[in-house]
Amino acid sequence: MAKILIVGEVHNGELLEATLELVTLARNVGGELSSLVIGSGVAAVAEELSKKGGGKVLLADDAFLENYTVDAYTQVICKAIDAESPDLVLIPNTSSGWDVAGKLAAKLDTGIATDVIRIEEDGGDLVFIRRMFNAKFDARLRLAGSPRIATVQPGACEAFEGTEAGSVEALDVSGLESRTKFVELRQAPAGGHDLTKAEFVISGGRGLQKPENFEQLLKPLVEALGAQMGASRPVVDAGWLPHDYQVGTSGQIVSPKLYIAIGISGAIQHLVGMKNSNYIIAINKDADAPIFEVADLGVVADLFEIVPALTEAAVAAKS
Amino acid sequence: MKILVCLKQVPHKDARLEVASDGSWIEEGNLKFEINEYDTYALEEALRIKDAGDAEVVVVSIGPERVVQSLRTALGMGADRAIHVCDDALEKTDSLGVAKTLAAVAKDEEFDLVLMGLMSDDANYALTGPMLAERLGIAHAAGIVKETLSDGSVEVERELEGGSLGVVSLPLPCLLTTQTGMNEVRYASLKGIMQAKKKPLDKKSLADLGLTASDVEPKVTVEKIYAPLKGEGAEIIEGSASEVADKLISKIKELGLL
Ligand SMILES: Cc1cc2nc3c(=O)[nH]c(=O)nc-3n(C[C@H](O)[C@H](O)[C@H](O)COP(=O)(O)OP(=O)(O)OC[C@H]3O[C@@H](n4cnc5c(N)ncnc54)[C@H](O)[C@@H]3O)c2cc1C
Repeated sequence: MAKILIVGEVHNGELLEATLELVTLARNVGGELSSLVIGSGVAAVAEELSKKGGGKVLLADDAFLENYTVDAYTQVICKAIDAESPDLVLIPNTSSGWDVAGKLAAKLDTGIATDVIRIEEDGGDLVFIRRMFNAKFDARLRLAGSPRIATVQPGACEAFEGTEAGSVEALDVSGLESRTKFVELRQAPAGGHDLTKAEFVISGGRGLQKPENFEQLLKPLVEALGAQMGASRPVVDAGWLPHDYQVGTSGQIVSPKLYIAIGISGAIQHLVGMKNSNYIIAINKDADAPIFEVADLGVVADLFEIVPALTEAAVAAKS
Repeated sequence: MKILVCLKQVPHKDARLEVASDGSWIEEGNLKFEINEYDTYALEEALRIKDAGDAEVVVVSIGPERVVQSLRTALGMGADRAIHVCDDALEKTDSLGVAKTLAAVAKDEEFDLVLMGLMSDDANYALTGPMLAERLGIAHAAGIVKETLSDGSVEVERELEGGSLGVVSLPLPCLLTTQTGMNEVRYASLKGIMQAKKKPLDKKSLADLGLTASDVEPKVTVEKIYAPLKGEGAEIIEGSASEVADKLISKIKELGLL
């Protein structure tokens, strides 16, 4: 029977939902479960996780762990692995997850799969399913080595909702060291373009090809419909629009009545930012674009034909 | 200051990808390739450090003969020399095998800084950087959007969730992986491309690096790639552009937004 170790994540003193998603995943795989909670003054979080299905919770509580550093977290996870000898280690695929996971796998010289969305059993072995090529394909991976490590995409599973007795055990975390020094946390400067409360958002992606097309093609449509303009990350990376137009994990999370995605493929980091919209329309020339999986209504066509026609129809409808 | 930039060559962003007949990777035969976008920001950052002072920028890429073109592009942009690691045994290796190979490249060079993209646009693993740092025994930070060098250390901004930033300071030597958008990447000038022809480009096999095929034996095997299973998906509307536009306008009205 497999032994699974979940590396929990705490944000601002609270258990990250993704940790409970790992509980669901681990229970589906089956086996003996333990979890790890890392931080300073996080005993209550460990207690909470033990009651929410995390199994035996190891508490790594130390002033040195108040702020995340990759070195110290790697050392703590190694100590937990030494204590529990798991066959499988699950880590949320968050910004600290992708910082620490590769280092850990290299240190332990073992197999790892990142951004996993499912784990299946096949012929007595585990198969790790993840997206590749920016979600154009799914891939089935097999891992050698021990323990095997998987980072798991937040949102890929439902959070575990059961309750149980659970137990918490302190993990000895003496002797931690870090070459990296934490300096500070900086919030992104609040931009003036707030999309979080917008009723109607029309976003353009890399498919619009150049900045002029946002001005000459997208803006007339947005204005004719009285919507707000949004964008995918490459548009902002290229400097075509400011950061406060970006929708997604590293931008704004929106939930309008209507979201229209134009020339956007539908990468997970974008979907996270808009999939809770009440109604979604996608315009994309690629019928296989993942955006059509979350859209209610789709148009498979060249945006350079559809957008002008739509602007014209919108202007006509208002007059 | 000596900087190593690791570049991966990946299929061009607009290439139409098909699954290869053995099902475990894409068909590469007729594809156009380019430098992985995430890595281009790493290269640009290195070239900026060079422009601002005194630095040697070395670029390395692992892959078949075609990656020479990307190395030449990097030399044309301003890198000083290139290393091409080419070996059949590397074809099926995994991120750890790549990291071990890159560690062997870096071993005797005493780089102050190693830079590469957060992930590659093909496999999207985001593993090579942190793995290489571990193999080299140096500190790292993954997913940076800003770096400021000072004597013996570098302060970086790591991109966290929701656009917030984690600022950390690392001692040199260290390894940083770059997030997209951190700078504006230059193009190779004509003059740069001409000069690049004279710059050194070393080709190395695993044996040249003191490694054997068993050192890069993969622990990760891609058994199969396939088009994602489709859910119910969107209702697709068809017709001429104006017919589609009319249908969309009706929908927008129905939602009470017009
Ligand atoms: C840590 C991290 C955080 C990220 N955060 C975000 C984020 O907050 N927001 C975000 O958006 N992304 C984010 N990304 C990037 C994300 O992974 C994708 O790269 C990005 O969303 C792709 O943007 P896109 O859909 O505009 O471009 P592409 O994926 O290149 O898609 C362009 C689309 O346009 C279509 N198209 C092209 N021409 C036409 C035409 N003439 N007519 C119709 N359709 C056309 C194409 O078929 C394609 O589907 C993040 C990535 C990472 C690693």
